Amino acid sequence: MRGLLVILAIMIAAATARANDIAVALADDIIEIDADFAGADVFLFGAIEGAEDPESFDIIAVISGPAGDFAVRKRERRGLIWIPGAPVVIADAPRLHLSVATRAVGDIAPLPDLATNRIGADRAFKADAGDATAPPDYRSAFLAAQRERGLYRDEANGVEFPKGALFTIETSLPAETPIGDYTIAVFLYKDGALIADDAATLRVNKVGLERQIYALAHGQPLLYGLLCVGLSLLAGWIAGAAFRKS
Amino acid sequence: MQIYLPIAEISVDPFVVMFLGAAVGFLSGMFGVGGGFLMTPLLIFYGIPPAVAVGTEASQIVASSVSGVLAHIRRRTVDFAMGGFLVAGGSVGAVIGILIFRYFRDIGQIETFISISYVIFLGVIGALMLMESVRTLFRSTQAPRTRRKHRSAPWMAAMPFAMRFRTSQLYISPIPPIFLGFCVGILASIMGVGGGFIMVPAMLYILNMPTNVVVGTSLFQIIFVTAIATVLHAAANQTVDIILALLLLTGGVIGAQFGARAGRRLKGEQLRALLALIVLAVCARLLFDLALPPVTPFVVEPA
Repeated sequence: MRGLLVILAIMIAAATARANDIAVALADDIIEIDADFAGADVFLFGAIEGAEDPESFDIIAVISGPAGDFAVRKRERRGLIWIPGAPVVIADAPRLHLSVATRAVGDIAPLPDLATNRIGADRAFKADAGDATAPPDYRSAFLAAQRERGLYRDEANGVEFPKGALFTIETSLPAETPIGDYTIAVFLYKDGALIADDAATLRVNKVGLERQIYALAHGQPLLYGLLCVGLSLLAGWIAGAAFRKS
Repeated sequence: MQIYLPIAEISVDPFVVMFLGAAVGFLSGMFGVGGGFLMTPLLIFYGIPPAVAVGTEASQIVASSVSGVLAHIRRRTVDFAMGGFLVAGGSVGAVIGILIFRYFRDIGQIETFISISYVIFLGVIGALMLMESVRTLFRSTQAPRTRRKHRSAPWMAAMPFAMRFRTSQLYISPIPPIFLGFCVGILASIMGVGGGFIMVPAMLYILNMPTNVVVGTSLFQIIFVTAIATVLHAAANQTVDIILALLLLTGGVIGAQFGARAGRRLKGEQLRALLALIVLAVCARLLFDLALPPVTPFVVEPA
């Protein structure tokens, strides 16, 4: 498998014409998160064209996918207790945003440049253009929550250079990864300047029992509810019968 | 090892979940109670979204009541007529409970609502149980139990449509059992409890039913009403996680066996005091979580 990938990568490398260009491809562009739900691995490979010593470059891959709206609420004191207050909506933020790089992204390029390309967990979504809809503390709370669930993540030292101009990136998607389409943008930096970029797309599907349960529960909730009751009755009866014998 | 719960949408350690099921199963076997009122808060403490904890616990109570109901039917200790009225009231209560649940879910305060409900419920029950058992423990000799009055309270006798309940040897109006079922049905929907805790004393002391049919009849009501609550939660809120329910059940049946054995070695009043303390501890934890400055000041959810 790896041998084949390296050959493919060499072919890609040969096909790229421009000096110091970058080209990437995915080992699998459809990922199925399976019933064990431990997450899944993404394997990305590519080549830097015309590079004498590839390790003097910096590479950043940003896996970012299905955008959604999130409500962030601050707990406020009401009398004796704390309850969530009015929601602030963070619109159009990716549900998953992973940045895998040769080293800490902050060391690779200046922050405004990273922000333009949405590199790094802290820059996953566009900071609202000056309007006050999402105050900074709500934004950072949102980022912290996503980071804690493993959905926003920065990974340094995630790029390997197995041979010559070739590089490989291997990372894992958490079990909570939402299904949908993802873009993988790969950036090539040299001395803090962006030289080239390329992109690939990735589709995440979930298969297996868990996925079917989810689909049934949301697609035919009444049927699912009746099934749950049926299963509970059956399981309870079996458990009771098993222990009466022993 | 981690397993992904499809409805709760989080990864959990299946052995921790089974252990939780076993711990509550142990307590319910030891004390002869359903355990829903302890399981739901424990699931919340573990990190299961409260709405999913409630919906799932309803289905787990269905499972854990099956063998009890069947045993009581075999022993003919179920008053089906009384049970029928309790279920009728309970069904309506379950629907009202779901509507209340949905309302608080829509305004985004369902977690607070569930916590407050539990603080009140556990606080009252725990305090009453503790007072009762302390009183009995200090009164060294067991006071003679008041015998069952054969006449019901005047306000009950005054109710219309009085009818005969053969198994319970009662001649009362069906309105009080319908109302009792209704209240317990609301609790089943909004808290994910069976409600035996409230129903059994009410059947004994208010409806005046004989002791031998009380547990069987209340289990009969609980299995129907929690089944209805499960279907309603699944249909209206999509909050029943069958994987979670089956994990809990697996732990629960094992724990209940050991609990029943342990319970035989302890005296009734000590048991009751112990259970009261556990209930109050869970209540206190929920109360602290509500009243202390939050560890995570923000709540993030998909909009």
